[in-house]
Amino acid sequence: MVKTIIAHIKKDFRIEFRNRYAASVSFSFAFTTTLAISLAAGGIPFSPQTHAVILWIIMFFTAMSGLAHIFVREEDRGTSLFLQLNSPPLAVFTAKLLYNVLLFFILQCLILPVYLFFMQLDVQSPLFFLGYVFLGGVSLSSSLTILAAIVSRAGARGALFPVISLPVSLPVLWVVIQGTSRSLGRAGFSNPGDMVFLLAFSGTITAVSYLLFEFVWHD
Amino acid sequence: MLRDISLSMSSPSSLAITGPNGSGKTTLLEIIAGIQRPTKGTVQLFRGDTGLRRPWFQETGYVSPRLRLYDELTAEELIEFTCASRSTSRDRADEFLSMFNLLAHKRKMLSQYSSGMAQRLKCILAFINEPPLLLLDEPGSNLDREGKDALFRYLESIRSERILIIATNEKEEADFCRERISLG
Amino acid sequence: MKYIYRLVYIIMPAAIVMAFLYAPPAEGLGESSRLLYVHVPLAWVSVLAFSVSGILSLLFLFTGNGERTERVHAARNSAAIGLLFTVLATFSGSVWSKLSWGAYWNWDPRQTSIIVLMLVYIAYFSLESALRENSSRPRIVSAYLVFAMVTVPFFVFVVPRMFPSLHPDPIINPDRQVHLESAMKISLMTAIAAFTLLYGYLLDLANRVTAIKEQQKGHLL
Repeated sequence: MVKTIIAHIKKDFRIEFRNRYAASVSFSFAFTTTLAISLAAGGIPFSPQTHAVILWIIMFFTAMSGLAHIFVREEDRGTSLFLQLNSPPLAVFTAKLLYNVLLFFILQCLILPVYLFFMQLDVQSPLFFLGYVFLGGVSLSSSLTILAAIVSRAGARGALFPVISLPVSLPVLWVVIQGTSRSLGRAGFSNPGDMVFLLAFSGTITAVSYLLFEFVWHD
Repeated sequence: MLRDISLSMSSPSSLAITGPNGSGKTTLLEIIAGIQRPTKGTVQLFRGDTGLRRPWFQETGYVSPRLRLYDELTAEELIEFTCASRSTSRDRADEFLSMFNLLAHKRKMLSQYSSGMAQRLKCILAFINEPPLLLLDEPGSNLDREGKDALFRYLESIRSERILIIATNEKEEADFCRERISLG
Repeated sequence: MKYIYRLVYIIMPAAIVMAFLYAPPAEGLGESSRLLYVHVPLAWVSVLAFSVSGILSLLFLFTGNGERTERVHAARNSAAIGLLFTVLATFSGSVWSKLSWGAYWNWDPRQTSIIVLMLVYIAYFSLESALRENSSRPRIVSAYLVFAMVTVPFFVFVVPRMFPSLHPDPIINPDRQVHLESAMKISLMTAIAAFTLLYGYLLDLANRVTAIKEQQKGHLL
C-alpha cells in the first residue's frame, strides 16, 4: 500500500511539474493579490489585526484556486477510471491528501516572503507566527481534500468549492487569524493551546475524510 | 437496461459478448470489472474457495475505449505506476513492450502516441500483472493488422490459464472465444 | 404513534396563548421579552433539524447497503425545514436584538453560530443542485453533511473564545435560566414542545410527499 501511495504521489508531481497548472495559477493569484493590496494601501501601515485578516484571505482563496485541481483534473481528463482500475480508494485519497498538503506548504513558502516584503510586515513573535501559518495551512489543505473530491464530481466547480469549503474552514480561520494577529503584534506571544487545537482539527477531520472518501469516490 | 443476467465462469474459459450498439455490452463488462454497481444483484469473484472483496483490480485486467491515460506521462512511467499499484515487478515490462512493438517508444510521452499505439499500451497495462480475469471491451479498436496479431498471439498464449471475456462486434474477436452470449 | 404530530393542533395554540397571556413580561425588557417564546424554539429546532439530517445521512451511508434512499430524501427535507427555521430564528433574533441592545447584529456567539449553521445549509443545497444529473448524488451529499456535522464540535469550542468581549445573553441561553420565573419556564417549554411537534409534522408531511413522488417516478420508468 505504501508503495502504491508513493507511486501516486510521484505520478501527480510528475504531471504537475510537466504542466504546472495548479502551482502557477495559485501562485499568480496570491502574488497579484498581494501586489494589488500593497498598491492600494499606498504605504499606509495596517494594524496587525488587518494584516492577519488580509493574509489569511489571500491564503484561503489561494487554496480555493489550487486545491481542487488534483481531483478536478482526473475527472476532466477522464483518467479517474484508470485510477479506479489500479488502486484502492484509500491509496488514492492518501496520495491526493499528501499532494495537497505538500502543494499548499510550498505555496505558503512562496507567498509568505512576498507578503512580508510588499507589506513591510514586522513580526514580533516569529515562532508562533510561523506555527500559525504552517499549521493553519496543514489544517486547511487536509480538510479541503475531500471537498475537492466532492467538487470534482459536480458542476459549477469554481463557485461551488468556496461555498462548501467555507463552513468547514471557519474554525481554522478564526483561530489562525486571531493567533496570527497576536503573534504579529506582541513580542513573546505564545499559545500552544491553539497549536494543539489545529492539530486536533486536522487529525479528526482527516480521519473522518478517510471514512467518507469511499462514498465520494466512484463506485 | 440489463435484466435477469446470471452467469458463472471458471478458469480457463473464454466468452464473447456480442450485440448491437447500446445493448449493454460495455455496462455488463463494467459491472463485472467492479467499476459500476448493478441496481440489483451481485458479482462475486472467487480465488479457490474464498470470495474476494471489491475492489478486485489486482485480479482483473480491463481494456476499454473509455479508458483514458495520462498524456503527460511516458509509457515507461505509466508501466511503473501500474506495476507499483498492483504490486508487480517491472521485470517483464520490456518484454511486453517489444511484444506490442512499443519498445522504441517507451520514453515518449503519451501525447505523442497515435491512437493505435495508445491502444496497445492499454493492453500492456491490463496484461502486465497477469491477472486471472481479462475483460476486454473492443480490444481491437484502433489497432492495425500488426497490433491485432500481437494481441491475439498474446491471448492465445494465455488462453488455457485465464478467464477471458471480450465484448465486441468484430467477428475475429468474437470467434476467438469458445462461448458466446448475445445481448439485445 | 403515527399521528403524534397532530398534537401540534392543540399544543401550538396553547403555546401562543401562554406566550401572550399567561407568561408575565420579563423585567427590564417588557413586552418584547415575548419574543423569547418564538426565537428560542426556532433556534432549537434549527439545531434539531440539522442533527436529524446528519444522523439520517450517517445511517444511509453506513447501514442498509446504500439502498435506503428514503433516508437521503428525509435528510434533505429536514435540511429544508431546518433552513427555513434558521432564517426565521435569525430574523426573530435580530429583531429582538434591535429591541434589547439597539443593533440588529453584533456577532455575539449565538448569532455567529446560527449564521454558520445557515452557511452549512446553503452549502448543502448548492452542492445538491450542482449534482443534479449525477447518480451518485445521494452518497456524495450525505457524505458532505456528515463531514459538516463533524466540524460542529470545533465551532462550539472556538466560537465563545472568538467574541469574549460581547455581553453574554443569559436570556437567550436556555441553560442559564436564572432570570426566568416558573410561568415563563412553563410557557417556554410549551413553546419548544409546540415547535418541535411542528417540525415533526412538517417533516412527516414532506417525507410522504417525497415518497409519492418517488413512486410516481418508479411507475414512469
